[in-house]
Amino acid sequence: MATLSLRQLTKTYEKTEVLHGIDLSIEDGEFVVFVGPSGCGKSTTLRLIAGLEEATSGDIEIAGRVVNNLEPKERDIAMVFQNYAIYPHMTVRKNIGFGLRTAKMSRADKEARIDEVAAILDMTELLSRKPSQLSGGQRQRVAIGRAMVRDPAVFLFDEPLSNLDAQLRTQMRLEIKKLHQRVGNTIVFVTHDQVEAMTMADRIVIMKDGHIQQVGTPDEVYHAPANTFVAQFIGAPSMNMLQGVGAEGGISLPSGIQFRGPLAPNGVPLVLGVRPDDLHLDDGEPLVEGQVAVREPLGHETLIYVTTQGGEIIAKADGRRPPDVGETVRLRARPDRVHIFDAATGQAIR
Amino acid sequence: MYRNLSIKQKQIVWAWAFLALPVLFYGVIRFYPTGNAILISFQDWNLLGERNWSGLENYIKLWNDPVFWKVFKNTFLYLLLGTPISLVISFVIAYHLDQLRFMHGFLRMLYFLPFMTSAVAMAWVWRWFYQPVPIGLFNNFLASLGIPQIEFLNSTTNALPSVLAPAVWAGLGFQVIIFMAGLRAIPRSYYEAARIDGVSTWTVLSEITLPLLKPTIVFIVVFSSIGFLRIFDHVFNMTTNNPGGPLNATKPLVLMIYDTAFTGYDMGYAAAQTVVLFVILLVVSLIQLRILRDR
Repeated sequence: MATLSLRQLTKTYEKTEVLHGIDLSIEDGEFVVFVGPSGCGKSTTLRLIAGLEEATSGDIEIAGRVVNNLEPKERDIAMVFQNYAIYPHMTVRKNIGFGLRTAKMSRADKEARIDEVAAILDMTELLSRKPSQLSGGQRQRVAIGRAMVRDPAVFLFDEPLSNLDAQLRTQMRLEIKKLHQRVGNTIVFVTHDQVEAMTMADRIVIMKDGHIQQVGTPDEVYHAPANTFVAQFIGAPSMNMLQGVGAEGGISLPSGIQFRGPLAPNGVPLVLGVRPDDLHLDDGEPLVEGQVAVREPLGHETLIYVTTQGGEIIAKADGRRPPDVGETVRLRARPDRVHIFDAATGQAIR
Repeated sequence: MYRNLSIKQKQIVWAWAFLALPVLFYGVIRFYPTGNAILISFQDWNLLGERNWSGLENYIKLWNDPVFWKVFKNTFLYLLLGTPISLVISFVIAYHLDQLRFMHGFLRMLYFLPFMTSAVAMAWVWRWFYQPVPIGLFNNFLASLGIPQIEFLNSTTNALPSVLAPAVWAGLGFQVIIFMAGLRAIPRSYYEAARIDGVSTWTVLSEITLPLLKPTIVFIVVFSSIGFLRIFDHVFNMTTNNPGGPLNATKPLVLMIYDTAFTGYDMGYAAAQTVVLFVILLVVSLIQLRILRDR
């Protein structure tokens, strides 16, 4: 159990800087998810915390101790890898026990610890099997077991679910979350999947191009995105973005519609963002108007792609009575559900 | 008719069309002579005259031939020394070369060069290395340090290891490349996980690297064993004045076969020796495969 802080952390490969001064502090027992597109630096950050790579500058502090110059084994961390890194020639018991190799414990204590972890992960009957006899989800559990057996201060997960099929991923997601609630260790979890981030995290760290874009609870990053990148990255389908210009008391859209919203400076180019969930087919004063180009039925709802003057917009319609293709629809949004961003910087204006 | 065949049948027709030539080639060039050799081993033949049936006479003669037993021992010495030594050396080289980035390609080429070099040329160069003062490289070096001369090729005890050394060296490049390919195939995350677990380098080597290299090791052991059991050109070229000498100290089975056939013109006897070599190769390979096979 421990806190973790990163201070002005940078990493440079050859001459390319891939992390540009990461600042973050993680509370004891917190579940933090790093999310971002590939190449954003999330895995590099994790590997720096683990000690698999050396930081170029800045500090990494685990439980109040700067660990920059410590070997991974001295950092009191454990890591679960994307390909699990469980050894194919060893039984599950040996694989889990591998993490205890250097522990100063009696043989009997080690065996007892392995049994205890196996029981928590519900795989006692699998202990004598080889990894080739296990399913993907079971292998995943062995990898988690190997990390757990050492009872580390911080758990590091490097995209551990991306090799699983969709159904298993959902299931393991839940299991890891339950596990966290049960053991309560600090967890840093890296993923490129925003759904995983939203469902598991206490706090989400959204990264892009080696910079942190926003740190916040799932609620905060969804409902109050700091910039256009976060707004579009979190939530599926993506947030609609409409170009506009600041006008008296609001924003004026290319269609001529004036939207009354937060006060924006006159004449400044702005971006208006609205999530598909927040657009409703309505006869009231519309935000956008256009023709339905494509429909994607999902059962309980139907996604409609609407061609408007400001570009294509995605909205959600009732699954039972969706508008026809070609039909002209008027879409309305509640003013408090609309996000305004500065077009030049991408930052939110509130 | 072809039109009416199923897709599977058409594939088989094409497979056979392409395989026909190699199958024919193997039949004529490989299997027919193999069968013929077994046949000749039961005959008495001087290459030109009549072939006469002689039953098991050639095998009985072989059993009672002291030279054969000497040669048999030599052949296994080449195998039992050459295979483990070359395995260990090539692994050590590959293991360290794999961790090296600087001049990696150049070093790999250096190790691979001997494999591409003609065995005859190499044998003669090494033969020169082994000459006494003032010609030989090694003895000159020893002399400059004030160490007594070593009779490399003229001693019955030193000759076999001296001949074996360049043979090991020649095969090293190939084994290093195979080992490196095997090492590269082990996912990096296995090593990273071990690093996080904090186990020693020795544990990583013995419990992760070596077990995961097992298929590579099996391949190299079987291949190099076959090579050492068939050793010929190095021995022949380093001891041309007295092939297999001194006093048959370096003579392997293949050289004995060559001698019997083309110096003694005793084809039946040579064929019997060939059959024995064939059986040895078969048995050794099968034993190795069984021992090293994955459970």
